[in-house]
Amino acid sequence: MEIKIKNLRKHYYTGGKTIKALDNVSLSIPANQIFTLLGPSGCGKTTLLRCIVGLEAPDSGEIEIGGEVVLSTEKNIFVPTENRGLGMVFQTYAIWPHMNVFNNVAYPLQTRKVRKDVIRSKVAKTLDFVQLTGFENRPATKLSGGQQQRVALARALVAEPKVILFDEPLSNLDAKLREETRKDLRDFLTKLQITAVYVTHDRIEALSLSDIVAVMNQGQIVETGEPRNIYLNSTHRFVADFIGRTNLIEATVISQEEAVTMVDCAIGSLACRKRSDMQPGDKATLCLRPEFIRLKGGDAGEAQNVFNGRIESLVFIGEAFEGEIRIHDSQLFIKTEPDSDIKVGDSANFTVDPDHCLLVTR
Amino acid sequence: MVKKRSVLTPTLIAIVGFLTVCPIVMLVLGSFSTGLGAFGEFTLEKYILGYADPELAGIILNTIIFVLGSSLVATGLALLLAYLNTRTDIPFKFLFRIISIIPMMIPHILFSVSWVLLLNPSNGLINLLLRQIPGLEDLAINIYSLPGMILVEGLLDLPIAYLILAPAMASFDIALEESSKVCGGKTWRTLLRVTLPVLRPAILAAFILSLVRSLASFAVPSVIGMPGRIYVLATHIYQSIASGFAADFGKAAAIGMSVLATSVALIYIYRYLTAESEKFVTISSRGYRPTVIELKGAKYPLFSIVGILSMVLIVLPVLVLFYTSLVPYTMIPSARAFSMMSWKHWIEVINDPISLLSLKNSVFLGVVGATLGVALSVFVAYVIVKIRSYASGILESLSFLSFSFPGIVIGVGFMWFFVRTPLYATIWALLIGYIATYLPYGVRPLTSAFIQVHSHLEESSLVCGAGAFTTMRRIVIPLLIPGIVSGWILMATMFVRELTLSVVLSRPGTEVLAVQIFRFSEDGLWGQLSALGIIMIVISTALVLLATLVGVKFKPVEEE
Repeated sequence: MEIKIKNLRKHYYTGGKTIKALDNVSLSIPANQIFTLLGPSGCGKTTLLRCIVGLEAPDSGEIEIGGEVVLSTEKNIFVPTENRGLGMVFQTYAIWPHMNVFNNVAYPLQTRKVRKDVIRSKVAKTLDFVQLTGFENRPATKLSGGQQQRVALARALVAEPKVILFDEPLSNLDAKLREETRKDLRDFLTKLQITAVYVTHDRIEALSLSDIVAVMNQGQIVETGEPRNIYLNSTHRFVADFIGRTNLIEATVISQEEAVTMVDCAIGSLACRKRSDMQPGDKATLCLRPEFIRLKGGDAGEAQNVFNGRIESLVFIGEAFEGEIRIHDSQLFIKTEPDSDIKVGDSANFTVDPDHCLLVTR
Repeated sequence: MVKKRSVLTPTLIAIVGFLTVCPIVMLVLGSFSTGLGAFGEFTLEKYILGYADPELAGIILNTIIFVLGSSLVATGLALLLAYLNTRTDIPFKFLFRIISIIPMMIPHILFSVSWVLLLNPSNGLINLLLRQIPGLEDLAINIYSLPGMILVEGLLDLPIAYLILAPAMASFDIALEESSKVCGGKTWRTLLRVTLPVLRPAILAAFILSLVRSLASFAVPSVIGMPGRIYVLATHIYQSIASGFAADFGKAAAIGMSVLATSVALIYIYRYLTAESEKFVTISSRGYRPTVIELKGAKYPLFSIVGILSMVLIVLPVLVLFYTSLVPYTMIPSARAFSMMSWKHWIEVINDPISLLSLKNSVFLGVVGATLGVALSVFVAYVIVKIRSYASGILESLSFLSFSFPGIVIGVGFMWFFVRTPLYATIWALLIGYIATYLPYGVRPLTSAFIQVHSHLEESSLVCGAGAFTTMRRIVIPLLIPGIVSGWILMATMFVRELTLSVVLSRPGTEVLAVQIFRFSEDGLWGQLSALGIIMIVISTALVLLATLVGVKFKPVEEE
């Protein structure tokens, strides 16, 4: 179901300072999509999630879930958490240690006074879905981290909620398990056709799991879009920097050409992806991702976007070389093919496709 | 919800503040007054009277020797036991644990009395037995002495010292010792240069807590010290309020002030040290978990040996009491003694209206007092753990304050208060005093229970569609049950055996078991004393069993 958020505002006061956890956030989350809120800690993503589920009350604003207004400070509406009909997976899983797996999963149905035989079959179905059949009588304390995570998922799903919410659900798992679980979760959610709101600070998790990513910073949503679009075509400096490794170079717009925007910067003048909203003379930041800085064989000549650099350091990491090159006074990270014939101290020509020279602001 | 909380914290601060600050304030005011009747007129008369007493120097010296001696005995024994149990491969480790816990099961006054029955110079059972050995006919080991008091008090304080030292030893990072050995340190050197210094905060904490407990102790100084005319501050204060018509509560308050001040200072150091030692533990316990060795086939034989030995250790003092309750006068066990056994003392006790009344009062105080005390503790622990604010910090300090209360001194403080209220000489005065003095024993287990209830556990219940009431019933309360049960057991057993506070506050009509037993011992009525003592132990045990059963009934793991 669709979620619409209008002008959500939430301020905290600590130590005489006002912290804007949510600074006038408006957002529309389309139905049956995996929507991720990505941002550094303290950016307000968890607060936003907790406002949606009703565990926190914003200072002002409106939230509508599937056409029903669950919160409106103007109309004085506040539907309590237990009546919102949502499912949530907590960062700590919040598996009740005094109950077995069956009772943990059956709980949402029991509170809704569902008939016992219906509960039994639904719990069995859900446990089967998360591949925990046969664990019904296992005490919750006798589960591994990954199993607890799946019990938490089963509990969130069993009552067929309108929306399922995830608060950093993978952050307590070790690296290998986290990768597997991420894949499983993606499969589960795709199969279910359910609206999911997912909070994380891990960019790889966000990129690989979501249909739509919203990047948050300081209580505001900076940019929203499909993962590929956010990565390849971010328009904000913060987003470009947060979503992946990048070189950021201060630049000045020289001219607007037909297909590109020309800039001048410390490494020379470059043709960049077109930003028609910029005027010659404007300051911008050039964002060059290491993997798009490619070695160019042969002579530099007069070709566009080619510059000569000296290789300062180089590390072979298997699937690629990672290194640093120096062009004039600037140092750039590069990532290049593992079969490249280069070594430290070499001078080489590098090129970047204008499409991968992003101009970002702020 | 927010509104409810903002009322809850001040209300609790008011209640706990009244319970803990009121007796202190009354004690201070009382110490500057001429007497219970002439309250409010400022005078230093009682301080002059109390501190100019030529006997006081001797009493203070006795107190210092007694308190330091028994604390050394307790800490030394506890250290030895904890080290052997947690760090060596000595067999039957369970035994050590049980031996060190035993003295907790038996009320202090009965433990003291059983040692009097065994070792008093005229007809102590051990003395009588030893005198049968040729050449030892004139032997009289005298328990009524400072060494006797130190021994018994040391044994009584052993469990509390052990309970502090054992976990510290268990979480001790073995790598610290190993690195010392790698550096060439011998075992002894490692023990002296590494192990003990690292454990120093825990050892000092155990020692200081023993100091506080023996300073507050009344059972040993009264049952063992007073017959030998060895007075310490606790018995000195008792004397000035117990001498019939000339009871001087002003003088008692004036002397009590210095006992209280010492105790509060010691507890302050103790809190500082435990914070320190917890820091040590959290640093060192990372990643280190002692492995549990499976006993396999040896499990049941080992268990039975431990069981038999611990039975003997619990049963011995009880047996002495039971034996004494059946024989007409003290005599060594023999055919003649067995032929003379009768239920005479038991029948006398059962027909004694004051004993019966004390029985009724103690059971009431145990059950009702512990229930009210735990109810208060639930709210206090909730505020301390879940509402982390400046006000909840005040509440935490207030509720911990009574940990330092020497019962007899605080009893005097309460006396000044109650005498001005209709509560005077009612059972409710005792009830309020008990809860005030023993509040930390309820708050402690409930605080740790609340810490386990992570807020996500409640929140996920709300998300699952359960309202506040269902969440309370199905999630919060079940998770708190273990804490509630252990808090209740601690409080109930403390209340049933309570002596030091009761000896001041108990009036005709509000006698309690421990006070009645104390009166019997003053009169030398060992038979009746033993019979009533056994009844007391039975009641304590019954309360523990009852609470455990209730806990099991609401046991945490729900079945389908």
